[in-house]
Amino acid sequence: MESTLLSLAHGFAVAFQPDNLWYAFLGCLVGTLVGVLPGIGPLSGISILLPVTFGLNATQAVIMLAGIYYGSQYGGSTTSILMRIPGEASSVMTCIDGNAMARKGRAGAALCIAAVGSFVAGTFGVIMLTLVAPPLATIALRFGPPEYTALLVLGLIFLAYMSSTSLVRTLLMACIGLLLGMIGIDNMTGHFRYSFDLAELGDGIGIVPVAVGLFGLGEILSTPSHKVRGEVISPKFRELLPNRQEWGESVMPIARGSVLGFIIGIIPGSAHIISSFLSYALEKRVSKHPEEFGKGAVAGVAGPESANNAASTGAFVPMLSLGIPTGPITAVLIGALMIHGVPAGPQLVTEHPDLFWGFVASMYVGNLMLLALNLPLVSVFVTVLRIPYAYLYPLIIMFCIVGVYEVSHSIVDVYIMLIMGVLGYGLRKFNFDPAPLVLGLVIAPLLEQSLRQSLIMSNGNYFIFFSRPIALGLLIVCAVLLALSALAFALKRKDWRAKLAEAEAGEAQG
Amino acid sequence: MDRRTFVIGTTATATAFAAGPAFAQDAFPSRAVTIICAFPPGGANDIVTRPIAAALEPILKQPVVVETKAGAGGQVGAQVAASAKPDGYTLLSHNNGISGYAEVDKLFGRQPKTTRADFIPLARLIADPVLLVVNDQQPYKTLKDFIDDAKKRPEAIVYSSGGLYGATHLPVAIFEKATGIPKLRHLPTNGGGPAITALLGNNAQMSTQTVSATLQHIKAGKLRALASFGGARSKVLPDVPTLKELGYDAEYYLWVGIFAPKGTPASALATLSAALDKAAASDVFKNVVSGLGQEFAYLNAKDFEAFWTADAKRSDEAVQLIGKQG
Repeated sequence: MESTLLSLAHGFAVAFQPDNLWYAFLGCLVGTLVGVLPGIGPLSGISILLPVTFGLNATQAVIMLAGIYYGSQYGGSTTSILMRIPGEASSVMTCIDGNAMARKGRAGAALCIAAVGSFVAGTFGVIMLTLVAPPLATIALRFGPPEYTALLVLGLIFLAYMSSTSLVRTLLMACIGLLLGMIGIDNMTGHFRYSFDLAELGDGIGIVPVAVGLFGLGEILSTPSHKVRGEVISPKFRELLPNRQEWGESVMPIARGSVLGFIIGIIPGSAHIISSFLSYALEKRVSKHPEEFGKGAVAGVAGPESANNAASTGAFVPMLSLGIPTGPITAVLIGALMIHGVPAGPQLVTEHPDLFWGFVASMYVGNLMLLALNLPLVSVFVTVLRIPYAYLYPLIIMFCIVGVYEVSHSIVDVYIMLIMGVLGYGLRKFNFDPAPLVLGLVIAPLLEQSLRQSLIMSNGNYFIFFSRPIALGLLIVCAVLLALSALAFALKRKDWRAKLAEAEAGEAQG
Repeated sequence: MDRRTFVIGTTATATAFAAGPAFAQDAFPSRAVTIICAFPPGGANDIVTRPIAAALEPILKQPVVVETKAGAGGQVGAQVAASAKPDGYTLLSHNNGISGYAEVDKLFGRQPKTTRADFIPLARLIADPVLLVVNDQQPYKTLKDFIDDAKKRPEAIVYSSGGLYGATHLPVAIFEKATGIPKLRHLPTNGGGPAITALLGNNAQMSTQTVSATLQHIKAGKLRALASFGGARSKVLPDVPTLKELGYDAEYYLWVGIFAPKGTPASALATLSAALDKAAASDVFKNVVSGLGQEFAYLNAKDFEAFWTADAKRSDEAVQLIGKQG
């Protein structure tokens, strides 16, 4: 512990060198822009700027490139809140309540809460990274395919809490999402499934084009069909900040989101995508007013936003202490380190303490910089809403197209987005919530792959899920959740059909 | 400016524009060159293609843009490059994968989208020998231990790969054939990183991965290299014997090469290939290669063509050995 603090102090000495401070700032600034502009994601931002770092030393390079990564997580919520366009998979959930808050004139509050939540989660993540990285990373390695399968089963159960519409509608959407997730090359046999001879569909349908289409385009298409208020909202500065009640409602979700996000973030693989979904579902489950979710619940912004930031910091744990990537972005960072002659691996801390601790310390500083950058920007962003729809919406459509194309330079993705836009319009008209569809699409390929991998490992024996402690633990949580729901039904002495009819009736009224 | 010079000037400009294509051929390149990178950032392709593009710019005196077209194990990028206008302004950065698509398509009875004949090899940028690695929880100290155990327990040892018919799957098939061991059990993942993670977490016991991807884990004692698929011992791992030394006919590298689409004019090919030779000799590129922990393995167009022919033969054989799954 003492030696950790000593090393961290040394790290701060490195991080506070003017050069390093400058590159941290540069990274955070670019990251904020990358996050806010829908046309460019953190992955392409980092890889385009990679050659720029050839002239720098390894520490400066990683400080700057990582700044782009965690910086982009701050700005990522902006378009979700203001325009209902998720810039990436992790901000899908922010679209729902963030945008609902904006409609109630609380866009500034939502943006502030997102920024502060991101700051708290980011800082919490760095503290955890400082204290427990090496032992935690070893545990994270035990998270193999069976554990993944169990986690995703938990995700499926949480689906039920995802949406404010009825359970039947939620499950219907989820099933469509799961089916869409089946498209692409079957990793286990090499067969192309439902790809219609398009190589672009080989890796399946991307999450970003679907999310942008369903949420962003669907929203825009449906606007002309309902009454649009003529006057433009121009909030006073005081109204930009969250009020006391909103702060109070966001404290616990931020705390829970930070912890949940960090835990999911350290798992190697693509699990970090589901951190914001799980956080949203968790908040809805524990909330005293679950009916507010979808209509501008503060917790629905605070939780997921914190979770995705903590997850992005958590992703550094396996990268720094084991040298294994948790996703494409950490893979690029590892590549950047290698180019600079610093191989990321288990010996990074001992062989390059300057770089390791300097980098960790720079993240404390970087998170502060980001808070200072983002809070004043809130008032700038909110003014975007003053642009009349006639001018704003064509611009948004342009950004949607550019942004979706930019993710993988694929015109097929743009078509997918346009199709999903039309579908999103239809879903909105018939009061279906697209969020479970997106979660289904995220979960399906992961669940299929990890289930089949597990069965390869066990040679077809399903007992593997009960013989590994972490997997067993997660499955027990699933069982308890299901039992609790069943109990609630039993206590009310109603069978599910009656409950369903009641729910449908309530919906028809509402 | 009097009227006469104006007329002459305008005519000259108009002529220059009219003669545009012919003119461009004389002085290739006259505009930006695009290198399509068929693999996402973070992979070896992206890591070596960006510095080579940076080194090419001052030589060609034109911008060299790297455009990522990733997907379907590199097939998307290959198809985009194959259907691009073959004028020398579109190149492709690809790896071993480019050799095998046609063979895999044949296996599944599909019409191949691209074959090797669609591409002209220009340069091999890197060639990283593959190692047979096991994790630290395995008892094997030598390759012989491993082979003995594999013979005793058919289909019991699990190996992880970055994907079916991929560059970390084919070497296992080559190894199985060369040693005559019964088939090992295959755990496909979705990339080189996840495959190593599976190995480190003991969800798989063995994997065939490159020197640069595993060196740090080997140094830390988390992984053990039992043999190398290289032609000679690696300088950074001098204690690891090659399969050839041990008497097995198996060789495999993960390489990255630059290709031009079929039909590119010979003059443009000559310019590009000379520029690539020069760029590969630059400090920027050499530093990147040594930073990756690799030996300099650049091959010019002629040598690369010979290497590719031999390598593609190995790859086709391996695909046939694996056969159709499920």
